[in-house]
Amino acid sequence: MPRIVVCFKWVIDEAYIRTGASQELDLENVDYKLSDYDRNAIEEAVRLKEEYGGSLVGITVGVPEATKGIKDALSRGPEKAYFINDASFDNLEPSQTATILADVVSSQIEYDLIICGEGSSDLYAQQVGPRLAEKLGIPCISYVQKLGIENGEIIAERKMEEGVEVVAAPMPALVTVVPDINSPRVPGLKDTLMASKKPVISITKDQLSQTYEPCLQTAGILAASMERNCVKFGGELEGIAGFVESLLKEGVIS
Amino acid sequence: MDFKLTEEQELVRQNMREFTEKYVDPIAAEIDENSRYPAEVIEKLAEGGWLGMPFPQEYGGAGTDYLTYIIAVEEMSRSCASTGFTMSLHIGLVSGAIYNFGNEDQKKKFLVPMAKGQYMGAFAFTEPGAGTDVSAATSTAVLDGDEYVINGTKTFTSNGPVADIYVAFAWTDKSKGRKGMSAFIVPKGTPGLRVGEHFKKMGLRSSQTSEMIFKDCRVPKENLLGEEGQGLQIAMDSFDHGRIGIAAQAVGITQAALDESISYSKQRVQFGKPIARQQAIQWMIADMGTDLSAARFLTYHAAWLKDQGKPFSKEASMAKLFAAEMAAKHTSKAVQIHGGYGFCKGFKVERLMRDAKFTEIGEGTSEAQRMVIAGNLLR
Ligand SMILES: Cc1cc2nc3c(=O)[nH]c(=O)nc-3n(C[C@H](O)[C@H](O)[C@H](O)COP(=O)(O)OP(=O)(O)OC[C@H]3O[C@@H](n4cnc5c(N)ncnc54)[C@H](O)[C@@H]3O)c2cc1C
Repeated sequence: MPRIVVCFKWVIDEAYIRTGASQELDLENVDYKLSDYDRNAIEEAVRLKEEYGGSLVGITVGVPEATKGIKDALSRGPEKAYFINDASFDNLEPSQTATILADVVSSQIEYDLIICGEGSSDLYAQQVGPRLAEKLGIPCISYVQKLGIENGEIIAERKMEEGVEVVAAPMPALVTVVPDINSPRVPGLKDTLMASKKPVISITKDQLSQTYEPCLQTAGILAASMERNCVKFGGELEGIAGFVESLLKEGVIS
Repeated sequence: MDFKLTEEQELVRQNMREFTEKYVDPIAAEIDENSRYPAEVIEKLAEGGWLGMPFPQEYGGAGTDYLTYIIAVEEMSRSCASTGFTMSLHIGLVSGAIYNFGNEDQKKKFLVPMAKGQYMGAFAFTEPGAGTDVSAATSTAVLDGDEYVINGTKTFTSNGPVADIYVAFAWTDKSKGRKGMSAFIVPKGTPGLRVGEHFKKMGLRSSQTSEMIFKDCRVPKENLLGEEGQGLQIAMDSFDHGRIGIAAQAVGITQAALDESISYSKQRVQFGKPIARQQAIQWMIADMGTDLSAARFLTYHAAWLKDQGKPFSKEASMAKLFAAEMAAKHTSKAVQIHGGYGFCKGFKVERLMRDAKFTEIGEGTSEAQRMVIAGNLLR
């Protein structure tokens, strides 16, 4: 019976992000949410537990205020959560997140399978899953759209550009899932109310075995802007020639 | 003073939003068009434990506070005002009446399955000749041995055609005036209880509304709710509760009108720029947002008073009055912002405008609310 760990991230809900006057992101009035693909990860973990039995715990790294995120995740099925938190954990880069997770997972959690979302709704760097597997020294299967366990092995369907690849890996292993894998169920009211009663193991920065320095520097974040302009051409020969010329100039055709 | 919702209340809102996005948004226009009762949604609500929210767990509920329940009604109404009303009617008005006035046996027998959503409730109060003027009611109930025999016609009974449990009102002794009416729990299928004409309504169309006809309808004495003569008090208390629900419904509708107006006005281009850049449109949206906030605060305040165990009758009427009138006003503005498209089926604002009108009528018209409020202020 697999002991499953599911990783989740509490992120800014992009629907609330506004663009400031000089293209900077205005995060003044944002709300937060469970990262989209992590919902699929949790759902898949719950589904596996329903099918094969075993246990399921959640784990996240974030700022101490992210308690609503913990409840949200717990309302979707995990029995308990590990909450590694520090005020400085508000802008971790993927390598730090993966290393911190590995630190806690390897020292405190017994597991057979770790499930992550393919990427987070905010950065979508797709780094944490594979890096975490690497740190733990276990196999990693990414882009998983179907997951099962047979004879103690993970069997996974990977969604590749050119087709579907079916692979197997011994446990313990880590998989990262794509949204095609399932349609997360909506937690019931009682699940939400029960979530506050589930155990949360809070782990602070000083309980980690070392500090983790970033290896990236963020120079700035600006909203992407798309310049639109409208040029009208007539249907006569001259107009069409002008149209082709413009397309050439803009590099649309060559 | 603290304007902050708890994490749980915020999560409940978020979960209800997830619920509506998945199960209600995709069918809301269809059930409106076909005036269809969304039994599949009601079943899902029951499964999720949403239909008994504020009642203690021992009665099959989830034991939330009233505000949390009100937030869920608001959020549902933002997607579908008919279903939001069905929740509010079933929970706030009907189940609430049994919770507040029923004895232990009645709660076990009726409230538990209602809170679990196995039975749906209806409230048979209004009569063809007695709407605002309650005293004009003509239905009677006469004790005959161990049974009450009910006769009369009720109208505008929401859930009439689909309910399992009716809370019905009739005079047991009209000469006693306000102390002469009584309330009864009438299960569906009781001989002498018949569903009358179904109404074709302009709004709130997927909520099922009908006449209910009681002809020598016999209910056991145990089904008397509260005491003989307590009927009007039960009705008025239930309406106080129900009105917070209608206020929440109106807030949900106005929120939807605002959401639709913002997104449409940003994308509709006239005179070379989005109409949202015209001051005329901006002002409509500013007013909409402001009135919406005021309505929401009144509504949450009434629910909060109820949670504190304080009197909330006047505040419930104020919230219902204001939220309903703002919903009617601003859904009309939302259609205005959408121009001709807003006047057509297929744009949500068209349905919102029709649904909003109900909130000014049901569970006491705006005029009736003003009477309650003035009565309180001038006491
Ligand atoms: C969709 C829908 C669902 C409903 N569901 C239910 C239900 O489940 N159970 C139930 O029992 N009832 C239900 N009702 C009935 C509703 O509560 C009544 O329609 C409402 O109370 C008004 O009664 P009426 O329609 O008879 O209007 P009337 O009382 O005839 O009022 C007509 C107009 O006169 C005004 N008026 C009346 N008296 C006065 C006065 N003294 N001073 C100033 N103005 C006055 C009213 O405000 C209104 O504008 C529902 C109604 C609708 C439309």
